[in-house]
Amino acid sequence: MEIYINGIGVVGGFGAGTKDLITCLDNGSSPVKASDKGLGYTFPADTSRLEDFVQKRALRRIDRFSQLAILGAYLALQDAGMPLLAGKRTGLIVCSGYGASQTTFSFLDSLINDGDACASPTLFSNSVHNSAAGHITILLKLGGPCLTVSQFEMSVPSALMSACQWLSEGRVDQVLFGAVDEYCDVLGYCWKRFFGEAADGTMRPLSHGLQSAVPGEGSAFFLLSRDKTDHSRYGYVADVRTGRMKDREIDVSEDALYILGADGHKGCDALYGHFIPWGIHAACYSPIYGSLPIGTAFDMAVAALCIREKRIFSSPESVADQGRYKIVRQASPMTGGSIICLKLAKDHEFGMITLMPI
Amino acid sequence: MRKNAPVAITGIGCLSAAGMSMKENMASLYTGKRRAAPPVRFSSGHPAPYPVFEVLDDPLSEYSPQHIDISRTCRLGIAAALEALRDAGLDPGQTTGLKVGVCMGTTVGSAMNNEEFYRDYRNGMHPDMKIIERFLAGNPASVIAREFRLNGPCQTVVNACSSGTDAIGVGASWIRSGICDMVIAGGADELCRVTYNGFISLMIADSSPCRPFDRDRKGLNLGEGAAVLILAADRVIKEEKMKARAFVLGYGSASDGYHLTAPSPEGKGLRNAMTDALMESGKAAGDIAFINAHGTATRDNDRTEAMVLREMLHEAPFFSTKGYTGHALGAAGAIEAAFTVACLESGMIPANAGFISPDPELGISPVVENTRISQGVAISDSLAFGGHNAVLVLGLDRG
Repeated sequence: MEIYINGIGVVGGFGAGTKDLITCLDNGSSPVKASDKGLGYTFPADTSRLEDFVQKRALRRIDRFSQLAILGAYLALQDAGMPLLAGKRTGLIVCSGYGASQTTFSFLDSLINDGDACASPTLFSNSVHNSAAGHITILLKLGGPCLTVSQFEMSVPSALMSACQWLSEGRVDQVLFGAVDEYCDVLGYCWKRFFGEAADGTMRPLSHGLQSAVPGEGSAFFLLSRDKTDHSRYGYVADVRTGRMKDREIDVSEDALYILGADGHKGCDALYGHFIPWGIHAACYSPIYGSLPIGTAFDMAVAALCIREKRIFSSPESVADQGRYKIVRQASPMTGGSIICLKLAKDHEFGMITLMPI
Repeated sequence: MRKNAPVAITGIGCLSAAGMSMKENMASLYTGKRRAAPPVRFSSGHPAPYPVFEVLDDPLSEYSPQHIDISRTCRLGIAAALEALRDAGLDPGQTTGLKVGVCMGTTVGSAMNNEEFYRDYRNGMHPDMKIIERFLAGNPASVIAREFRLNGPCQTVVNACSSGTDAIGVGASWIRSGICDMVIAGGADELCRVTYNGFISLMIADSSPCRPFDRDRKGLNLGEGAAVLILAADRVIKEEKMKARAFVLGYGSASDGYHLTAPSPEGKGLRNAMTDALMESGKAAGDIAFINAHGTATRDNDRTEAMVLREMLHEAPFFSTKGYTGHALGAAGAIEAAFTVACLESGMIPANAGFISPDPELGISPVVENTRISQGVAISDSLAFGGHNAVLVLGLDRG
């Protein structure tokens, strides 16, 4: 499989666009914000750049969840600098762990406040999981296949597998592939009830036994093609796997760099210690964008940026190093080999995305 | 396997308001039995209740899942998967050695919209977090994989009303590419107050039993249920001594790019999806025995769908089964694919329940009585919120 990455659009606590993401990767941190409602810390994303692409009037009836996705999609297209293929030849795949949460709760507000007979139709239609994909097809006038996937932490590898399938089987020539999740107060409340408050808003992934996750939000989009183009600066997706592990270690490649999807949840972080052999060459960037179901999409964006920039970014200092892995501590030139984004989750679920330089 | 090779269906499970098994469902369809009634499991504040098609019996009355505290959507999905696995001659939980994936469509099954929790949260109370834990442990595809100890990929498709159709198309692709030996593909969805009130707020729900394609149709009735198809690679069929009941011959998917809740008036996406599905199947319009239409009974859906069917497949009889099951949202496409295979097998299609008066605007009418068919290929199509359209071409033979 060789599925080429031609453009990337990212929105998150680090900013909007690959430049902002690289700046925060180089600095080793992103701004966190303390909730004014006593709900701990978050990495809030800003969608104001959307007005560079879409008239403000057109955004009035589009909720924030979809706006995050739309901005990611436009940034990916701008970054690619190539037109979308007309008609049916471009597919769209969007994935999300939680969907349009805030709009779902706002619809419940309309039911509770105004009664069943006065529920808001606009909120209801925007609360559907595929609303973001629907808005993107309308704004970009896409007529090809369209798929929305929700698989919690495995949303990204599962949906990317379908994107690669569509391209491999010739169903389309391009896929605009993206992932989106938003933060809302109810999510923050649940977080606090389940995990308590993070002490200082610093994520310390791979500190086995320590709960340090900070909720993030945002989107990451990729313009993928089956054929190599002049814009394929980010290498290619060589393999995507997802499934359920048996009770044994994952087979690893010694010459690959592993971007671990550990995000400060002690339960999930412990899985890496259990299933990943010690001594692998690894990095972890979740402290830059926070903990969210679609975090693997940001890992994939960083992997692609490593390939474009021909350098491997240093892991943030707060990533724990207990001597188990060879954690990337200093930015270093990328000398070839593959980068594998590895996500482990409860019930022994795993997702692996392998990127290769051209 | 070549890119457009037929994919075998070796087992089917289905439950809806029309029956708790595939056999019961088809009996209801052929005898014209339908039961639309006010919701039993929840109440609403509407002056007159809108009818729904509810599954009143326990979907898992004879089977205890490993995890008891799962959503109703997941219980429906497990029940359909169980029936489908048994129909395929497989012992559920004993597929060790095979790479088995799960691809399920849903809407409610992936939504964090629990009213009880949210009311308590709003009121500053201490809501029960078990509700959220159940949601987080309740991804329909993952639950089925966990229940039957499967190790292949999982995907929950949330393409609104076409989710079940898309899930089967995606599952077929996993078989063709060799990603899986077998796929449990379908859809599951439960009725709930949130979607009930949502569709009423959009003014596309009928306060009487729905009338797909009828001149006086006023909208849909919601339903619930699940259906699962067991898709299997040829090698596995031989090894496991299974038999192909039918084949997925083609799948097409396309967007309107027009409106979030209304179909394109020209039927652009449906036309494209149908063209692609037919092309993949290698079949022409004249090969199609019938169309199991989406037929929700909303003014817009039925107008657009009838126009496309008239122009692309004008000689083929068609019907909607929403008059028997209601609109089961993310499960609808899977339920209708299951019905399509069963109709091909029996050589007969059911009357379009609820249809009385032809609509001159549509220019075509569905079948009004059980009708014999002679060809072995049919279409099942779905239109969805988001302007999404999906089409399956199903056949008794490889084609």
